[in-house]
Amino acid sequence: MHPTETWIFRILVLGFAGAFAAQVWTRARLILRAPNNIVVADDETGRRLLRFISEVVFQSRTIAERPAVGFAHLGVYWGFSAFALYTGVEFLAGLGVADVTGSRWFHLYELALVPFAVAVIAGIAGLLVRRAIVRPAALGDHVSGESVLIGFFILTLMVTFLLGFRWETGLAARVNWWVHALVILGFLVLIPDSKHFHLVLSPLTVYLRSPGLATVPNLDFEREQVGLETLADVERKQVLDAFTCVECGRCQVNCPAHGTGKALNPKRLILENEEALLAGRFDAKLADVFDAKVLWQCTTCGACEAQCPVGVEHLPLIIGARRGLASNGEAPDALAAVYNHLERRGNIWGLGADLRQKFIQSAGVEIFDAVRHEYLVWLGCAGAFEADFQKSLRALFDILRATGVTFGVLAKERCTGDIAKRTGNEYQFQELARANLDDFAAAGVTKILTSCPHCLRTLDVDYRAFGFQAQVVHSAVLVADLTRTMAVPGAGPVTFHDPCYLGRYAGVTAEPRELLARFGATVREPDRHGANPFCCGAGGGLLFEEHEEGRRISQERFEQLQRTGAPTIVTSCPFCSIMLKGAQASANTQVEFVDLVSFVDARMKCAAPAATARP
Amino acid sequence: MILVIAEQQGGTLNKATWETIAAAQQAGGPVTVAVLGAETAAAAAEVAAAEVAEVLRVESPALAPYTLDGFVTALAAVIATEQPGDVFLPHTYQTRDFAPALAVKAGRALVTDCVAARQADGRRLFVRPVFQGRLLADVACDGPALATFQIGAVRADTLVRGAAPAPVRTIAAAIDAGAIRQKPEAPFREAKHAVDLSQAERIVAVGRGIKEQEKVALAQQLAAAMGAELGASRPICDAGWLPMDRQIGSSGQTVAPKMYLALGISGAIQHLVGMKGARTIVAINKDPEAPIFEVADYGVVGDLFEIVPAIIKELQG
Repeated sequence: MHPTETWIFRILVLGFAGAFAAQVWTRARLILRAPNNIVVADDETGRRLLRFISEVVFQSRTIAERPAVGFAHLGVYWGFSAFALYTGVEFLAGLGVADVTGSRWFHLYELALVPFAVAVIAGIAGLLVRRAIVRPAALGDHVSGESVLIGFFILTLMVTFLLGFRWETGLAARVNWWVHALVILGFLVLIPDSKHFHLVLSPLTVYLRSPGLATVPNLDFEREQVGLETLADVERKQVLDAFTCVECGRCQVNCPAHGTGKALNPKRLILENEEALLAGRFDAKLADVFDAKVLWQCTTCGACEAQCPVGVEHLPLIIGARRGLASNGEAPDALAAVYNHLERRGNIWGLGADLRQKFIQSAGVEIFDAVRHEYLVWLGCAGAFEADFQKSLRALFDILRATGVTFGVLAKERCTGDIAKRTGNEYQFQELARANLDDFAAAGVTKILTSCPHCLRTLDVDYRAFGFQAQVVHSAVLVADLTRTMAVPGAGPVTFHDPCYLGRYAGVTAEPRELLARFGATVREPDRHGANPFCCGAGGGLLFEEHEEGRRISQERFEQLQRTGAPTIVTSCPFCSIMLKGAQASANTQVEFVDLVSFVDARMKCAAPAATARP
Repeated sequence: MILVIAEQQGGTLNKATWETIAAAQQAGGPVTVAVLGAETAAAAAEVAAAEVAEVLRVESPALAPYTLDGFVTALAAVIATEQPGDVFLPHTYQTRDFAPALAVKAGRALVTDCVAARQADGRRLFVRPVFQGRLLADVACDGPALATFQIGAVRADTLVRGAAPAPVRTIAAAIDAGAIRQKPEAPFREAKHAVDLSQAERIVAVGRGIKEQEKVALAQQLAAAMGAELGASRPICDAGWLPMDRQIGSSGQTVAPKMYLALGISGAIQHLVGMKGARTIVAINKDPEAPIFEVADYGVVGDLFEIVPAIIKELQG
């Protein structure tokens, strides 16, 4: 290399690296100034590393939903990683620091890179065609010119690399070398201000992502925490998320609110956060940054967060902002009534405890006694007051009796606080939780059985922050275990609606299907099922907000289930059941609804009427 | 001495004031009435007609319009100088706003929503409903207290009028207008439901069991024959068979009629919470398992298209 070339290259590297560093520094400052909410418990390191290997190194999430795109991306990613050393060596040589490009091992390395270069060319060409020509809705309305440019940059890098084998010396080789080097420098300065910043941040965000979905730690009222009010309150992981977002739109296409024509778009939410952060609008209220309306359109189904390939956590941002609004009395009217009911009657519908009492008596259930009973059956608000769900509980009681499991219920229950937690009324949630935990401690409860996935989540995850130790299990799991040796064939086709809080949150997807299969049903799956179901529309307090923008989520889901052609819809959550039955009533079509536990109980009774008859 | 806080707006007395004065008269002892505002002559003269010891005009330009800080400052000063025994207030929205702050400032107990005050063992007991009105509790306070009286609990026509108007004294309230934190805007009335079902004594409500839009007319006939309002569950309004403002339930109106007749309504909980306050619930539904029968006082399992015409005929014949 000519000395003049070396000097020109040094000046260029200095300039471009400086521009890159300045842009990174702007973002790093914003990340560092945010309140730190990143907690990595010591015992989690192993699990996080495994997740890192799976999701970063092997791109499992990127591939899971879009296999073709995912593998193309895997090719580009591995190619980039393989080229890191090559680029480093070439730059050191170009800067005149050290030149090992003539060594034998470097030639071998270059030869080994050829298949990677081919993989990158194949991958990036596929991705370019998809982005510029196919243009799926998830990527937004406009073709991002910058992304196309970067795509061509990457192509150029690979092509110039391969041409390097043809032109090893002479003018052509020099031009080729310079094109390669300049493209890398150009790429460098485009990274921080584009979705390509995920190259830098996503390994970090994937590692730092909370172990569970929708992790929203309790507010500490002693420290006067009230949730996220202004942009300055947005916490460090959320700021990292804003700069990491790769704009792939997986959250958007999986979001039931977006899918039914509502203003909420989880992808736009993250990008609006990024935009406001870069504009330095720290005093702006989050209701102005995001539009308060969209914050209340989220059902907290978790589809966005569960799909995100770069570890963005949408729900802590949404629920955090809701907490800021709820703390200032700015929750929607429909929720004000619910909060009132929770405060005065301890349940979401504001009904009297006498109705629950009537149900307990008519079902012949004993009050829990730790000496005589193994399980505490937690009824929940729906168990106490909703006639259809009470049928499911009666079925559960019969199964428990038939299989010899001892159980009792609490004389009095309050709502677990699910709605309060999800809608940001943290104070009410903690009050309800503490009162219930006192009751559990006084009764000596060690095992809790519930048929409500929302109660399951709240008791089994949210209550742990208070040091709650008892084992909590959903009836689908326990009943599957208790009836393991039973089988009753011949029930015909059904479809199963996975509740978000059971399938996605608790990961319980095998047990309901195993039960349905053993008790004779053939399950016809809707497109969205298992760990990625489509929400019924009830979560996050929206059970009480029936005036939806766009189409009703429940209507959309009901139609998806109907398209399976199954004459029976099996549910296993009281809220899903309420929403889908409402949708059915509005659609005026005849489909049979049955709760999973009721289904099993009926099948058991039809097989052995005497053995499982009610006492 | 019992001090009664009158409530007036633009010179017009809130009728609940008369009830509260009557409650104070019946509790025994001399009664003083305080009227607050920027200009209270007319309201004070009106109140002076009652058999009371004295009427106080507590005036300041800062007292109009109403603000919590203004009222609390003025009344705390009146309580400090006049040293009344118990203070009686009508349980109005305005009182609900300022009474807790006044109680704190005056260092007194506050008993809300009382239905009566009575003497026992030489002390005054305030009577207030608890457990949704199922029980009445007697509340005794250490020292003089503040008590608000439920509207309609004491009849205004039991008020004793004086032979001559009571003496009126004007007190200039010292209020620093700049220290008032509330900045009221002009009052307005929110547009109400076009149809207000909450006041209806009888309601006929239709659900999916009505099957077709044309059949809604049948329910309309029944409602007309019964002198009832027509309501509906969500699917009916969703389908546009009846307007949204006739929807009853958690996202519609909450009603509490004397009689609620549910036609072909299954009784989803979101509907039940809107009508659980009805005194008598009658349900007609084909499905004996329908949850509506869990809350119905009278249930008919059968075809509403047979039953409803028969009822109409009976009512008209």
